[in-house]
Amino acid sequence: MTIGWVHPGLVLILGAWVLPFLKGRVKRAAMLVVPAAALVACLLMTRGTHGVVSVLGQDLVFGRVDGTSLVFSYVFSIMAFLGMVFALHVEDDSQHVAALTYAGGALGVTLAGDFLSLYVFWELMAVSSVLLVWRRREPSAVAAGFRYLLVHVVGGLVLLAGIVIHWAQTGSLAFGDMGAFSGGIAWTLILVAFLLNAAVPPLGAWLPDAYPEATVTGAVFMTAFTTKSAVYALIRGFAGTEILVWLGAFMAVYGVVYAVLENDARRLLAYHIISQVGYMVCGVGIGTELAINGATAHAFAHILYKALLFMGAGAVLHTTGSRKLSEMGGLYKTMPKTLGLYMVGAFAISAVPLFSGFVSKSMVVSAAGETHRAVVFLMLTLASAGTFLHTGLKLPYYMFFGRDSARTQERRGREPPRNMLVAMALAAAACIVIGVFPGLLYRHLPNPVDYAPYTLQHVTSTLGLLCFTALGFFLLLKHLDPEPTISLDTDWFYRRGAAAFVKRIQRPLARFESGTVGEIYELVIRRPVLGVASLLKRFDSVVVDSALVGVGRSTESLAHVLKTAASGHAQHYGLLMAAGLLALVVLAMLAR
Amino acid sequence: MSFLERQLEDPVRFARIKRGFYVGLVVVVLAEIVLPLVFHGGHPHFSFEGFPAWGSIYGFVSCAAIIVVSKLIGKAWLMRREDHYDD
Repeated sequence: MTIGWVHPGLVLILGAWVLPFLKGRVKRAAMLVVPAAALVACLLMTRGTHGVVSVLGQDLVFGRVDGTSLVFSYVFSIMAFLGMVFALHVEDDSQHVAALTYAGGALGVTLAGDFLSLYVFWELMAVSSVLLVWRRREPSAVAAGFRYLLVHVVGGLVLLAGIVIHWAQTGSLAFGDMGAFSGGIAWTLILVAFLLNAAVPPLGAWLPDAYPEATVTGAVFMTAFTTKSAVYALIRGFAGTEILVWLGAFMAVYGVVYAVLENDARRLLAYHIISQVGYMVCGVGIGTELAINGATAHAFAHILYKALLFMGAGAVLHTTGSRKLSEMGGLYKTMPKTLGLYMVGAFAISAVPLFSGFVSKSMVVSAAGETHRAVVFLMLTLASAGTFLHTGLKLPYYMFFGRDSARTQERRGREPPRNMLVAMALAAAACIVIGVFPGLLYRHLPNPVDYAPYTLQHVTSTLGLLCFTALGFFLLLKHLDPEPTISLDTDWFYRRGAAAFVKRIQRPLARFESGTVGEIYELVIRRPVLGVASLLKRFDSVVVDSALVGVGRSTESLAHVLKTAASGHAQHYGLLMAAGLLALVVLAMLAR
Repeated sequence: MSFLERQLEDPVRFARIKRGFYVGLVVVVLAEIVLPLVFHGGHPHFSFEGFPAWGSIYGFVSCAAIIVVSKLIGKAWLMRREDHYDD
């Protein structure tokens, strides 16, 4: 059977535009069929190079299909499906179109074999995802969306600059391992752009700034695609780059520290995206077969459990309208199903045995061990404890249990719409299946897997780590009470720093403008322009005017002559014609 | 009243859960110390992993360190009022 090659990203991007034309049940069916079709297209892909288009003497490769791109395309299309199930009740076409386009962009990045098509899909993701923030339509969301777009436009330009320089230097647009160009300017620019999308500090403040401001359903999509497609790009281009090891380990701890301070439920989870992506970035940096497998497996598992956690926090926001932990509590009585499903995600991210994080995160940590990096190993393990502390203990404690004040009682919701629960149940099932049968995931990893997660030592030390983290949590509980504050991050530089900078330089700038710039303007622009203008004016009045006047006068005198002939009387014209005919006849006879 | 509510709101049952948690901690520590001696399973990457009850100790220390250090940094520097960026 040959059906040619179908780009699964294109299925989503084009399929998205069908939705606004449909209604009711048909529309809801289409919302599921489109991502399902993309998933089928991914499953039908055969390894090799497809969709090659020649432009400007360069081969644009839209379908580089191999082990790495396959596993990422699977999880991206599964995620698009889960996200649409979760958003099934939303009556807002623009969100659905944006979400599917965004997912399609991620698939496009995954399958791109050259920098130019990578860039196009990269930008498509930024532009489509910002709609998911703006559609919450609150002033804070609109502002956060603009900041998000600003950061990603800058990142996109850095990427484009790197690509153009790389093209000029090598004459090739092929996107492969960049190790040979290490340290060069193109290498640096492209790496910085990738790190920005992977939310690596200090370039990652856009993530906890924007994600909690997105719509309930939009945020679920956003957790999956931008950072993980960047991890994919890093695996492709920068595997084994030493600096990534340290950036990743730092990230893992950084996210945990900020999560302690955070009061907004979804922002706390957003900081844990940074922490978790830290494991992947670290794995990419280590670069061994086990580490790359670990980064890939962790990206796969992470997308599913993080979506589940954001669905849980989103369901609470949807039914109670509350996003701050300091205003929640006691929800376990009214939302027990949401609590149960959320806890599956929390156990998965915390790497509890039999849940997905246990079999994926440990690959990266073991890779750090195998390469004898004791400090990195300790940092990653510490971040594991922190992850359980926040997503497994602090957040559920204050959201679902905790104190049950009169204020929280009036905010108490019901279980969310059924489609939300179904999406959460599907994601939770995936987390457990991967945890119990890791072979199902390991089979699809880019490198052959020789790794056993369930060793006695690993299981017992993990249980010890988790249980005593819980003990520490309960002992220090009074210090953890969420406070209604926000935390400074590097977004300060463009939220406050830029304004303060402008304020500071305003007056000197004004003085410089009216003084120095004004004089230079007078000298260089105003005087020469005025001089040329007066010259032109004189030329105009002397040469052009008199020429025109001359033409006018001669036309006038010619008109006087013609006026006598054109009298307006038919008999005069007839006479003239007859005279002319007579003259012709005479001329003809004489000429014989 | 649901099952969870009964467990959490009844002081007698809640005390039982608490006791169970502490017993669980002891079991986990013992398992971590004894099981490797019996089965010689796994091969730690670093010598410190061979320390008795390594995971439990490191977990507790990590948790306490994260809370204390983060709160110190937060109070001293990072935490601001919610309207910090509003003009």
